Amino acid sequence: MRQLSPWRNPPGMEEDMSESAVAELPLQPVQPRRFLKPETQTAMVFLLPSFLGFMIFMALPIVASFALSFTNWQLISTPSFVGFQNYIKLFTVDPSFYTILGNTLFFAVEYLAVNIIVSLTLAVWISSLKHGKAIFRVIFFLPTFTPTIAASVVWLLIFTPDGLADSVIRSLGLGLPNFLLSSSWAMQAVVIVTLWANVGYNVVMFNAALDLVPKHYLEAAMIDGAGPWRRFWRIRLPLISPTVFFATVMTAITSLQVFDEIFAMTRGGPGSATATLGFAIYQKGFTNFQMGYASALAWVMFVMIMALTILQFRMQRKWVHYDE
Amino acid sequence: MKVLQKTLMLATIGGSLFATAASAEQVSLTWQMWTGSDADTKGWQHLADMVTAKYPDIKVTLTTTGWVDYWTRLPVLAASGQLADIVSMQSLRMPNFYSLLEPLNDRIAADKFDVGAFTPSIIGGMSIDKQLYGLPYDVGPWVVYYNQDAFEAAGIALPKPGWTLAEFTDAAKKLTKDGKYGFGITPQNYSVLASAWGDKYVNDARELDLTNPGAITAAETVIGFAAKDKIAPLVPSSADAGTVIQGRFYSGNVAMYVDGPWSIIGMKDKVKFKVGSTTLPRGERELTAVTAGSGFGIATTSKNKDAAWKAIQVLTSPEALQYLAEQGRALPARTASQSSWYKVAAKDITNGGEAIDYSLAHSVPYVITNNWAAVENLFNQYFPPAFAGSADAKQTMDAIQSLAQQ
Repeated sequence: MRQLSPWRNPPGMEEDMSESAVAELPLQPVQPRRFLKPETQTAMVFLLPSFLGFMIFMALPIVASFALSFTNWQLISTPSFVGFQNYIKLFTVDPSFYTILGNTLFFAVEYLAVNIIVSLTLAVWISSLKHGKAIFRVIFFLPTFTPTIAASVVWLLIFTPDGLADSVIRSLGLGLPNFLLSSSWAMQAVVIVTLWANVGYNVVMFNAALDLVPKHYLEAAMIDGAGPWRRFWRIRLPLISPTVFFATVMTAITSLQVFDEIFAMTRGGPGSATATLGFAIYQKGFTNFQMGYASALAWVMFVMIMALTILQFRMQRKWVHYDE
Repeated sequence: MKVLQKTLMLATIGGSLFATAASAEQVSLTWQMWTGSDADTKGWQHLADMVTAKYPDIKVTLTTTGWVDYWTRLPVLAASGQLADIVSMQSLRMPNFYSLLEPLNDRIAADKFDVGAFTPSIIGGMSIDKQLYGLPYDVGPWVVYYNQDAFEAAGIALPKPGWTLAEFTDAAKKLTKDGKYGFGITPQNYSVLASAWGDKYVNDARELDLTNPGAITAAETVIGFAAKDKIAPLVPSSADAGTVIQGRFYSGNVAMYVDGPWSIIGMKDKVKFKVGSTTLPRGERELTAVTAGSGFGIATTSKNKDAAWKAIQVLTSPEALQYLAEQGRALPARTASQSSWYKVAAKDITNGGEAIDYSLAHSVPYVITNNWAAVENLFNQYFPPAFAGSADAKQTMDAIQSLAQQ
């Protein structure tokens, strides 16, 4: 009598079942077995458009680009299979690849460090204000509304030889060369513009996290004689470390993909001083029509970003505190 | 009687219906073209209507895209098999895309189409290995535009077509003062100027050859304008060096710059001084001025190639080019139609017609490789540091040559 499959036997019900109830059980399968619960079906219907969108515009191109990375495709001809040739060429023949890789990492490391330090400093400063917190948050967030290309074009005019930046540098007696003409300074111009355009995100995020730090911790520390610096290092920073971690990962990913600023301001120049992976993918694909080669570059970039993100997740155990 | 009348009427209606059906072998053609403004689009639509006016059975449907997007869309449309029947093509991009177009030599020979009525250099520009892939509608030699007021203020005689490099440099030096420059140069000007001086940067096998002595000498001169003579302002390696220099010319900060006749229309409203024009400076040899232009080809994928051939003949007919010239849209590719353009577009430019005439008389096709876009990108990246004095001509050319092979 008790040969019921477990899924029809909710835990705890077994003991309460009367004989009559059990006798009636064979009647229950009349209700058809549904593949999905009604609410799941509804959810599926609502999710379908974005799922389709994801499949068509994200998953499919990703798979296609992987397949293309093993071909030679000039865009107007049919792709021909070349095996690992694109990858081999990338690592062994192309003289510009390691420069591009170096530029990308240099930019990512510098930009990430500067972005986190600047945004954290600004957020702490804003949270210490008695008045006008909202105004400053808006001011720093505003550039993120501006299309990067438009902002970059304006910055290009600022940095152009004999432009505003040059006259400021001259009047301050800094003795720096023009940023866009100097191989060693061009990347700094890109860092400045990217920082200006994007620092607002992290400022707002850190600011919100700082506001959530319980006041009584800070008051207790103050009574114990901890100064502002110590309170920041020992209480506020550990408590907002999950937010800092999230911001670090996201900023690292976007900085490895930097493109707009370089496209509009330097086109990878002067020389190849600002050519990064993101820019090289565009250049190889849409200027030189080497789609297969560009796809191979894109996959190298993907692996790099993935590896760095995994590394960051590993390292978070050492410094991120989740306060329950 | 009534029955007869009705029968006759029905027969008439039936007959007319049949007649309509018979003449309704309408051919529908698509035409993809770039456009810069509504006025521009109207002009192209007018041309499309001219085709139907001549051949009532051919209807041309125009689709337009902005200039920059056009060149990104073209390969994508080709890759997805959606090219229009009539594909508009610029001569500089022909080496990249000619494989999408139908060769025209056989049709030209069969119809005895008169190619000789067009300026030879643009026929060369629309050809690959002597095979014509498109009929051109416009042609434009690069010339030097100058600020006539600045010349007069500096007491320099206005330059005459056919002037030499020495005369040019001398004028530019005299015009460089008070924070203003005599000449505005962009990295992309290299190939145009090297051609004008007869220096080859592409060998006979159509391969990039930037490291031959002539190509390097030309680079030394071009780089020297900024690095040595200091007669040209430095430019960053940005997307728009050309626009930056054009802006500096418009604002009166640069007295001369290189551009094509297609820019005259936009120039008039933007400058507050008298504009003059002359040829590119020549070297020791005669001037060899390169030209660029655009035209229309037939897609290899078109199902109506015969109708498309008829249509592109109308689009480049004397009447069509006359219309475009009167609109100030383009300097006609047909030699006979060019004077009407001078009367409209170049009439306020000192020596405007003469500079173009002289250049066309000394014109040669613009020789480029089939990866020219990539090469220009490298010019853009590697010339600015040389302009600033941190690399010499040989280093610059070596770097571009080796990277362009990748």
